[in-house]
Amino acid sequence: MISVKNLSHLYNKEGKPAVNNISFEVEKGETFGFLGPSGAGKSTTQGVLTGLLKLQKGEVNVAGYDVSHVQNKRFNKIGVSFEQSNVYGKLTAKENLEFYAKLFDVETRDAQELIDLVGLSGKENVRAGEFSKGMKHRLTFARSMINNPELWFLDEPTTGLDPAIAATIKDIINAQKAKGTTAFLTTHNMYIADELCDRVAFIIDGEIKLIDTPKNLKLKYGQKLVDVEYLEGGKTKKETFKTIDEADRNKLAEVIKKHDIQTMHTKEATLEEIFIQVTGRGLV
Amino acid sequence: MIKKILKVLQKDFKTSRRDFMAAYIIMAPILIAIAIAVFTPGLNDTTVNLAMLESDDAAHIEYMEQFAKVEVFESVEDMEARVEKRDDIAALVPAGDSYEIVVQGNEPEAVPGYTKVLEALYQLGATKEETTAELMSFGHTVPPLKTMFVNMMISMTVMLAGMLIAISIVEEKTENTINAVNVTPLTQTGFVIGKSLFGGLTALAGIVIGLFITGYGDINWIMIILVGLSSMILSLVVGFIQGLTSDDLMEAASNVKMLFLPIAGSIAGYELLADKWQWTMYWSPFYWSYKANLLILSKTADWPTVLLCTGMVIALSLVVYFLARPKIREGLS
Ligand SMILES: Nc1ncnc2c1ncn2[C@@H]1O[C@H](COP(=O)(O)OP(=O)(O)O)[C@@H](O)[C@H]1O
Ligand SMILES: [Mg+2]
Repeated sequence: MISVKNLSHLYNKEGKPAVNNISFEVEKGETFGFLGPSGAGKSTTQGVLTGLLKLQKGEVNVAGYDVSHVQNKRFNKIGVSFEQSNVYGKLTAKENLEFYAKLFDVETRDAQELIDLVGLSGKENVRAGEFSKGMKHRLTFARSMINNPELWFLDEPTTGLDPAIAATIKDIINAQKAKGTTAFLTTHNMYIADELCDRVAFIIDGEIKLIDTPKNLKLKYGQKLVDVEYLEGGKTKKETFKTIDEADRNKLAEVIKKHDIQTMHTKEATLEEIFIQVTGRGLV
Repeated sequence: MIKKILKVLQKDFKTSRRDFMAAYIIMAPILIAIAIAVFTPGLNDTTVNLAMLESDDAAHIEYMEQFAKVEVFESVEDMEARVEKRDDIAALVPAGDSYEIVVQGNEPEAVPGYTKVLEALYQLGATKEETTAELMSFGHTVPPLKTMFVNMMISMTVMLAGMLIAISIVEEKTENTINAVNVTPLTQTGFVIGKSLFGGLTALAGIVIGLFITGYGDINWIMIILVGLSSMILSLVVGFIQGLTSDDLMEAASNVKMLFLPIAGSIAGYELLADKWQWTMYWSPFYWSYKANLLILSKTADWPTVLLCTGMVIALSLVVYFLARPKIREGLS
């Protein structure tokens, strides 16, 4: 569904690239996640893939179309949700969706149904300009589904939403996934990546560090952590040891020998911890 | 594609009705038209006004009424008082066997000239049937003030079309809805056409309504619409450029206002420059549209002249468009 080879993107000729020589493929029906901190180059990648940013270097094929040749009809198959919501403030929620629907050649979904789906029932006749940030974001998200896209771009779909609404959005994404929609999802939230994505790419400073399934990542990195709580000089101390690390292993043996252990268990690392291990940096 | 373009058009109409500034701009030509209609009564004539004495020969008065708007007065003093008023009127004062023509002095030469011809025709006993053609051709050399104002209103309205577009583009940019539209099957060209139609049709409606309000309902509409649409090309191009390069509404609108200079300059050039210097204004599309509109408004336009003017307007505007096209394309993506 998506094939990217050696993609690079520069905003200023002198500056360093926002995306630097990345390659990846997304299979039909797959939910592919771009996980990385803010400024990593996730939105830039989505921009090039959706044709909003001009392809500078590399080969990009999306939904069967080479993005270096502009062909607007490909968007009949594509849905795009933006990180920054972008709806007409002077139009109501419903007018926004109805206008947008008319721009497609394919069958579109009912505006009211989508409004209800994202929890904006009752607000359909309110102008989007009066919406809160989160409501605008949900309207932008709802709009991206209006043409029943085969390929769905989701830039930070849950960022800035309160947990209950974020859960609703996650459910919607999962439901679409069950219907076979292919999704390219960017996020700096490891839970989202973990719960929704079939495969995850770790991206930082415009470079992809690895691509794997969340499950494989946890198998590879996760079970090799040991959390220990022990008493030292009357105080409880807490430490985490990597069992793959020689020094850590020795330290752990030392602790067990010398101190009174209170709790000790191996634990499954979160994607964030794995991210830190792999890239040396956190997700914020 | 046409369906989508119409959707963009409809959406723009809807949003602009809800935007204070856009709504105001749409109303502006109508307000100007009302002002013209209220403050310049009696300037509507495409022929001259004549003041005559009640005691004059009834047949004389009747004859003159066929070609001029005749006002009848009791005394010469009343007549002279009338002539002193602001609009263009000539008084026919009996002086022995013949007549004297009394004017205020600030009238176009054609006013006494036309009166002289009328009087001569009357003396010769010419009938209306024989003379119409000749008299009409004199008519257009009489430039009534009102026609000039109305023509200026048309030029203004054309400029407003550009402002409307600029405002609507700035809004698409600040709300970033332009990116949402860019990921639909609607092409950039479709988007540009939709927006142009929005600005163009709004301005055209303003012109048509304004012409009715000011009492020009009986002109050649095909001609006026043709000239109106062609003169809008440049305004639209400027609107697009300003919309794409400005970051806020006021900035965009005031940049489009810069068009006012060439427009006012062209009007002034047409009205004030001597014939031998008229060519210095040929570069300006506004000059050509002003000229064509003036002929149409005074009902003396012929198709060859209108087509020549329209052609000049379109050609000059297209030059600007092609120079600006790379910038527009870049700004839209
Ligand atoms: N329009 C722009 N102009 C210049 N630099 C930009 C622009 N957009 C993003 N950048 C820079 O490119 C890098 C990647 O940004 P972005 O793709 O938005 O990251 P992410 O979506 O992962 O947070 C950042 O360093 C950011 O500052
Ligand atoms: Mg981003």
